[in-house]
Amino acid sequence: MASASSQVLWLIRRSKLSLVGLFIVAGFVVTGILAPFIVPYPEDARGETYNIEERFQPPSWEHPFGTDEYGRDVFSRVLMGARYSLIIAVGVVGLALLIGIPVGLVAGYVGGRVGSMLMRVTDMFLAFPPLLLAIALAATLGRGLFNTIIALSISWWPWYARLLYVRVTSVKNMPFVDSARLLGLGRLAIMFRHVLPNSLTPVTVQAALDMGSAILEAAGLSFLGVGVDPSTPEWGLLVTEGWASISSAWWISLFPGLAILVTVLGFNLLADALRESLDPRIRRIALTRRILG
Amino acid sequence: MSKAYVAKRLAMLFMVVLGVLVITFVITRVIPARPELLWAGSHPTEEQIERARKELRLDEPIYVQLYYYLKDFFTGDWGVSWRTRQPVLQDIMESLPATLELVFAAFAIAVMVGIPLGVLAAVRYGRLADGVVRVFSVLGASAPVFWIALIAQLVFSSWLGVLPGAKRVDESVVIETGFREITGFMILDSILQLNAAVLLDALKHLVLPALVLSLYPLGLTARMTRALMIEALNEYHSISLQVWGLPRRLVVYKYALKNVIAPVIASLGLSFGYTIIGAFMVELVFVWPGIGLYAALALLSFDYPAVIGCVVVVALVYSLVNMVVDIVHASLDPRVKL
Repeated sequence: MASASSQVLWLIRRSKLSLVGLFIVAGFVVTGILAPFIVPYPEDARGETYNIEERFQPPSWEHPFGTDEYGRDVFSRVLMGARYSLIIAVGVVGLALLIGIPVGLVAGYVGGRVGSMLMRVTDMFLAFPPLLLAIALAATLGRGLFNTIIALSISWWPWYARLLYVRVTSVKNMPFVDSARLLGLGRLAIMFRHVLPNSLTPVTVQAALDMGSAILEAAGLSFLGVGVDPSTPEWGLLVTEGWASISSAWWISLFPGLAILVTVLGFNLLADALRESLDPRIRRIALTRRILG
Repeated sequence: MSKAYVAKRLAMLFMVVLGVLVITFVITRVIPARPELLWAGSHPTEEQIERARKELRLDEPIYVQLYYYLKDFFTGDWGVSWRTRQPVLQDIMESLPATLELVFAAFAIAVMVGIPLGVLAAVRYGRLADGVVRVFSVLGASAPVFWIALIAQLVFSSWLGVLPGAKRVDESVVIETGFREITGFMILDSILQLNAAVLLDALKHLVLPALVLSLYPLGLTARMTRALMIEALNEYHSISLQVWGLPRRLVVYKYALKNVIAPVIASLGLSFGYTIIGAFMVELVFVWPGIGLYAALALLSFDYPAVIGCVVVVALVYSLVNMVVDIVHASLDPRVKL
């Protein structure tokens, strides 16, 4: 996509909100990567410490987000949480793409009985409300970071399969695919070298922006007790840990929740702006507005 | 909309139900290495494991297991909850009305506030009001619902003390006024018995959880309405009406809004799914005795039969709601075909 950078520029010019979203997402990714090196109290972030004198300290200069029931620095734990949320987000979306892309590609390109059978299976998964299937899977597999990622991605891939399927069915009838066929290319070569690259963009863009929802749903699983392991500083779990003492020490739950809110907001602002920019009808509307005034 | 459409949609519902059952069967019986360990409670004895093995018919071939799984489902034998020691189906039926009441209240708020907000944003496209509505609706979709519930409970119930923060009703009011359950829907029952004290108390208890739960569908409704309304206002017919000199208000509310309502309703089906899962967490925070609280407690106490029962029921309710939404949508929009 030669126009990728110009597209981003167009977006930012059009709406300042998307710039805010971009900053948040960039900040989140950088924090997630650098967290172990920048947290003020690394032992607290890893959950190895227990300072009885430091328990339930309200926010101060030393501990901007206060301390929790084990006297651990909440700020450090929230920063470290960005790392886990990043791992979960990338893992869920990546794994979902890994399942969804082949299913959508084969169903769309091969079509016929195989295609419609694959899409029936996809529809069966879509009959579950979001997160419900993940809850059932997480309850079956047990807690843990890896199991959380598996449970969420299994309930996630059908969306990408559908999206790619729709795209592939229209791309495969385009003239350049016909000419590739006339040139004598094999089915597999056409499928992977021509149809797939030309159908992938909307799916991958959608997937990148879905990372916010993945963070949100992983937090929900943690809250329901079927998410990551108890010792992990995952944001949803941090909120849950502060629940018992929320009326006296509200900061333990407040700040990790804010971290989720801000991060997911960043992804959603970006998604919102991008959806408007990709939608040709909205571009037409912007044009008529300029003419009508 | 025709009778044929409804019949087709009903047939589709049946297929969806079968699909849901097959997937839950695979998750609960095929994926785990030893399913009997999951079904035998949190700290099972050898005896309990052996009994679970027999009940699940794990020694039989897989298709026989599937047959009995489906048969048990349709005959209402959903197993016994380890936590409450009651049949799972009975537990679920008892707690379903509380959840539906909460979810309906949340949806009523979402529709009544979300559609006007969306229209406002569309009419003021690109101005301040539009920006505020957009940010608000994105916020609604970005906040973890359990966290909002915790904070709302803390602020409005613990700190300010203006609203009750737990349960559906004050037990003492129920006992004093001799209130009886009829349908399980508290609001409906108190109206049926002309019991103003319970009605008022129940409404007070409903406000906070319903508001929290409504944030997500409200944002979604506002966003959908806004996008569709902007589009409808820029269709050539709307523009020409304005060019002919019709008042803008008339164009907005009489001609454009009409084209928006049907697709907005169609989008509510999906947000219903999110909302009912949100209810799992909101009910846990507000100790709301619905299926969400039941499921959440079951999850926390490794009560596997109860968890799976809830998963199946929620998936069924979701499919049912989607069917109703589709039929309503079809009756509003004659172009819709299956």
